[in-house]
Amino acid sequence: MAIYLFQIINGIGLGMIYFLIAVGLSITLGLLGFVNFAHGVFYLLGAYFTYQFAAAGGFVLAALLAPLVIGLLAFVLERGVLRHTYDMPHKFQIIATLGVVLIVQEVVVMTWGPLGHGVTVPAALSGIVMLGDFPYPVYRIFVVAAAAVLGLLLWLLLERTRFGALVRAGSESAEMVTLLGVDIRLVMSGTLVLGAVIAAVAGVLIAPIRGAEPHMNIEALGIAFVVVIIGGMGSFTGSMVAGILIGVIQSVMSTVWAEGSQLMIYVVMTLILIMAPRGLMGRA
Amino acid sequence: MERRKFMQLTALAGLGLGMGGLPLRSALAQSSPVDLFMVSAFSGPFAANGKYGEMGGRLAVKRWADDVKQPVTYSTIDTQGNVGVATRKVQEAIAQKNARIFLGGALSSEALAMSREIHRSNGLYITYVGADEVTGSDCNKSTFRWSVPTYGAIHQTVVPVADLHPDAKRWYTITPQYVFGEGLLNNAKAVFKDKGIEHVGNSYHSLQEKEFSGYLANAVAAKADVLLILNFSQQSIDTLRQLTNFGLKNRMKIVVAWSAGLDHFSTLGADICQDIYFGVQYWHQHDVPANNEFVKMCRENFNSAPTLFTAQDYSITTMAMKAIAEANSTDPAKLIPVLEQLKWDGLTGEEQVRAFDHQVEKNYFLLRGKAKDKMRDADDYADVVSLGKSFVPQAESECKFG
Repeated sequence: MAIYLFQIINGIGLGMIYFLIAVGLSITLGLLGFVNFAHGVFYLLGAYFTYQFAAAGGFVLAALLAPLVIGLLAFVLERGVLRHTYDMPHKFQIIATLGVVLIVQEVVVMTWGPLGHGVTVPAALSGIVMLGDFPYPVYRIFVVAAAAVLGLLLWLLLERTRFGALVRAGSESAEMVTLLGVDIRLVMSGTLVLGAVIAAVAGVLIAPIRGAEPHMNIEALGIAFVVVIIGGMGSFTGSMVAGILIGVIQSVMSTVWAEGSQLMIYVVMTLILIMAPRGLMGRA
Repeated sequence: MERRKFMQLTALAGLGLGMGGLPLRSALAQSSPVDLFMVSAFSGPFAANGKYGEMGGRLAVKRWADDVKQPVTYSTIDTQGNVGVATRKVQEAIAQKNARIFLGGALSSEALAMSREIHRSNGLYITYVGADEVTGSDCNKSTFRWSVPTYGAIHQTVVPVADLHPDAKRWYTITPQYVFGEGLLNNAKAVFKDKGIEHVGNSYHSLQEKEFSGYLANAVAAKADVLLILNFSQQSIDTLRQLTNFGLKNRMKIVVAWSAGLDHFSTLGADICQDIYFGVQYWHQHDVPANNEFVKMCRENFNSAPTLFTAQDYSITTMAMKAIAEANSTDPAKLIPVLEQLKWDGLTGEEQVRAFDHQVEKNYFLLRGKAKDKMRDADDYADVVSLGKSFVPQAESECKFG
């Protein structure tokens, strides 16, 4: 198999991971209009809780428990801090969520130390398959499949349920939804928690690939913003297309021009911002 | 507690602190002629350097306190791993605290910048960062370096691995594109030429890179026999994790030219480290008296084996303390000539400063990760394959003191 074909396949796998990292942010940013710089810490905590729970009871237990615990934490955070900034200008949301980032990061360093920790790939998902001449980890195939299933469930939730309809309606006119007798604050709470849980799942799935280290949220947040900008705020499909696009670009560029593979992600983002300011699938 | 009582208590506590603090400050000012300033990252992505480094520095102060015969204050400066912050804080310490002796540095870039500032103020700076410029083209009379430069790191890793595997002739490199990575790559290319090794490709990457699967695919496509990783810190860890996921350990030899040793091993775990070659500046199992004593102190004080960060700060603080004791002075002008002649039994064996470039000559170790069931204790991750000293000869040195 030609290296470029492999890099495209590898890029799609990478893109699905980026989609998972970004889609929660896209929902909170696009549908709630809430600038959540704390999105990356849910991903960070997802990886650390996986490390902690996997050591105690295995990866499956960790994969089930970590998103639940983080969902609970996100709910408390939303009730205690974030909901007080919903009606404020974006700069207050940025300051509040940045504060959360700093606190969580320091708590992580104090709890687990400044050095990272590894999470072992579950035995059933270890090993490789050969794609032509190239080895590809079974675990990455699992991550792609898990991301696809999660994406489908999320789409169904947002497009085919009453909750999804309320979220979409609330993003158009919160006042109208309130007048219809719906507690819009509860919907917003649920949406933010949903975004946090998806980020936590991304952290869980990434932990056996990249481990858990105290500053992994910064890279994740950067990638998430790029995906949201390219895909369009609030667009579920846009997040997936953008995630795969930058995954493929990054992967192919590592063969074409390795030193420019990171740079090209931002070049593409800039070009799309110029040509389509609302992103590939952003709403008008 | 009643509000009034609480206020009375806090007022008394404040008074007590104020009264207690005044004579303490005064006493320190009068009887602390030896002020050491440890500069490192205590926050941000490189916070481990500061945290574990400080442990080593304070241990050295305690160990050599009797030799110095004066009270020693050991202060820390948090550079945050940021060149701008590091430079500003060093300038402030020089201007406001009359700081003269600085030890440490988390990154090559910040160490080079601090070195210039400290030299400008005629101070003394002992570091351990990787960039060859520190004791090469950017050397100066105020700056000394403990760790082996990239030249020695490559010679002590690539050469023995090439000798151990004479059939492995195709080597691929992954390199971060900055001063430290370039130094390792240039030296590796020179050794490849000498040893008749074919350099089948190199992937440069940025310092922000976290995803290495694309570069690993390049190494597979190049049909490399050996993958040489020319990086340090978290990026090496990410690379090793991902290449293990991709099953590359079964397809080619893996060599990490510059590793943090025990820190890396405990982060990665024995399963990943097994059969990988690591070049390290320090290894806690090295059986020499000074190291045995140091390991014992670490186990007694911290209940753990020393990491590279702890060992390197212990070493440079030891250098400073020995020089102060011998010169019976804290004046850098008197300490520098003493340091230039310094020779001692260090943690890696006999260590000696070269007067012409202020580089310490010391051993560099090549380790090989061992299987989990072969580990004798929780820190026994690797066997020493070889060790030795390789340094740029004086005739080829780019260091010229102005």
